[in-house]
Amino acid sequence: MQSALAKAVALILSADAELCNILSVTAKMSISSSLIALILGVPIGIWLGSSRFRGQSILLIINRTLMGMPPVVCGLIFYMLFSGVGPFGKWKWLFSVRIMILAQVVLILPIVVGNMETYVTGIAQTVKETAKGLGLSGWKTFFLLMNECVYQICSTYLLAFARSIAEVGAVSMVGGAIAWKTNVMTTAIMQYTNRGNFSLGIALGLILMTISLVVNILISVMQRRINR
Amino acid sequence: MKKRLAVLLAMAMMASVFSGCGKKEEAPAEAPAVETEAPAEEEKTEVPAEEPAKEEAVVVNTVILKEADDKMLNTYSVLAVDPEAPFVDADGKAVEGVAVNTAGADALIQWLLSEEAKTLAAEYGKEEYNDTLFYVKEDAPAFEGEIAKATEETKTIRLSTTTSVNDSGLLGAILPVFEGEYGYTVEIQSAGTGKAIAAAKNGNADLILVHSKSQEEAFVAEGFARVLEGFESERLSFLYNYYVLCGPTEDPAGAASAATVMDAFKAIADGKHVFISRGDNSGTHTKEISLWPEELGITVEPESFADYTEWYTSANTGMGACLMMAEEMEGYILTDKATFLTFVANNGVM
Repeated sequence: MQSALAKAVALILSADAELCNILSVTAKMSISSSLIALILGVPIGIWLGSSRFRGQSILLIINRTLMGMPPVVCGLIFYMLFSGVGPFGKWKWLFSVRIMILAQVVLILPIVVGNMETYVTGIAQTVKETAKGLGLSGWKTFFLLMNECVYQICSTYLLAFARSIAEVGAVSMVGGAIAWKTNVMTTAIMQYTNRGNFSLGIALGLILMTISLVVNILISVMQRRINR
Repeated sequence: MKKRLAVLLAMAMMASVFSGCGKKEEAPAEAPAVETEAPAEEEKTEVPAEEPAKEEAVVVNTVILKEADDKMLNTYSVLAVDPEAPFVDADGKAVEGVAVNTAGADALIQWLLSEEAKTLAAEYGKEEYNDTLFYVKEDAPAFEGEIAKATEETKTIRLSTTTSVNDSGLLGAILPVFEGEYGYTVEIQSAGTGKAIAAAKNGNADLILVHSKSQEEAFVAEGFARVLEGFESERLSFLYNYYVLCGPTEDPAGAASAATVMDAFKAIADGKHVFISRGDNSGTHTKEISLWPEELGITVEPESFADYTEWYTSANTGMGACLMMAEEMEGYILTDKATFLTFVANNGVM
């Protein structure tokens, strides 16, 4: 473990070109996929949590099931769809960052929706009554709800980001862990492990955890500011 | 106040990571890179200073017991994927018009069979490991003509290959020469031979570089490979090395003193000594299956070794991870020599 720590420090200081590439692909992938999932998922979550309609419970059950979808299965589905022989093979998306983001959005979206729905269900009644009392329109009620959720949205984003950056099953399937192109931190760790180079794997893991820490600190600070 | 500190701390960390990255990107462009490289150099010398003591403490206990037997020959072949192959989708329906970069595949194969690539491959690892990792086949097909340079359409070559050629560092050492000379980008996906071939059958590779004769022949028979202009066969075998039977230094089964590899395998099975199998349908796995005494009936199917689970360990993972497992469990293992040598070299730092 000690040698892994020394390796991690040496690796960062040496600013290895391949490591930089891995870091930038990881950042590009996880930030895009978590943001897209957030932008799509928050409105859906608020809508699901604040309205009552027929079939709502079925939608919720489906969503909660999808929250537990194994990443490898998600990756496999996209691999088959975008394979040369698959229906979307002509787009040539397989083994690109684009499809990694797409697969991750599908993985993360249900988590964002589920998280927002749970929270909104708790506050929707009060907010709606207030809005009714003030005579606000439907859209305005929606934005009022959204405003009430900002703290929760930050937490949800952290969850989405954490899932995205730590995930390996789907991205290794659709990304193929191609060096200089689709190799991200987690797939690189897998690769080094397979080569029997455990300490370098741990070194990369330490770097990954540090990045997570930084992102968490930043967003937590933002969250506290908003809450004041 | 506290909040500001946290923000500052976070920003400082980000800045250090990113400025570190920036430096390297600039370094190759600027000639006086001495300044930026100096601190990294220092760090590097510091780390090994700590390590010698550790390296002595952790000696890899797994050693080569049996090698250079005719049965242990490990031949690598390269095959080009035929765009007209009978591709089928997940439901078994025929698919036409699968995109395959034939020009790119041609160029890479021609280069691999050129004198330049063969010399590079044969020299690979001699300095680092003091041993020959890959031998060039004497009767290997050769290419002497002109290799086409990359165009916008043919630039990206998808190579599906086995873990042994990639993890041993061979491709990483020789392909940049090809990329630099002809302007192609080779995207390497590495997996066991079984998976590598499956990727090609799914239309996700332009060529494959694998090492399992039976699986290659099946690939050809199914019509997925094509013959390059000027060559006779779909299977172009050009490199080889040896599989080696490795095990603990104590060698409880006496494998090292067995007359042949088959006898060594029989001794391991008779004594019920722990054996780590790749179990992933890779080339190494296929070879291992062929070496067990026939009466055991071990095949790739899990049912076939259900009675031997007390000693036969089907790991279903890559070569490096399997070697690690063999080391931990003091078991026997079949591996290609290149991966074993790189494993021993890497493992000193664990």
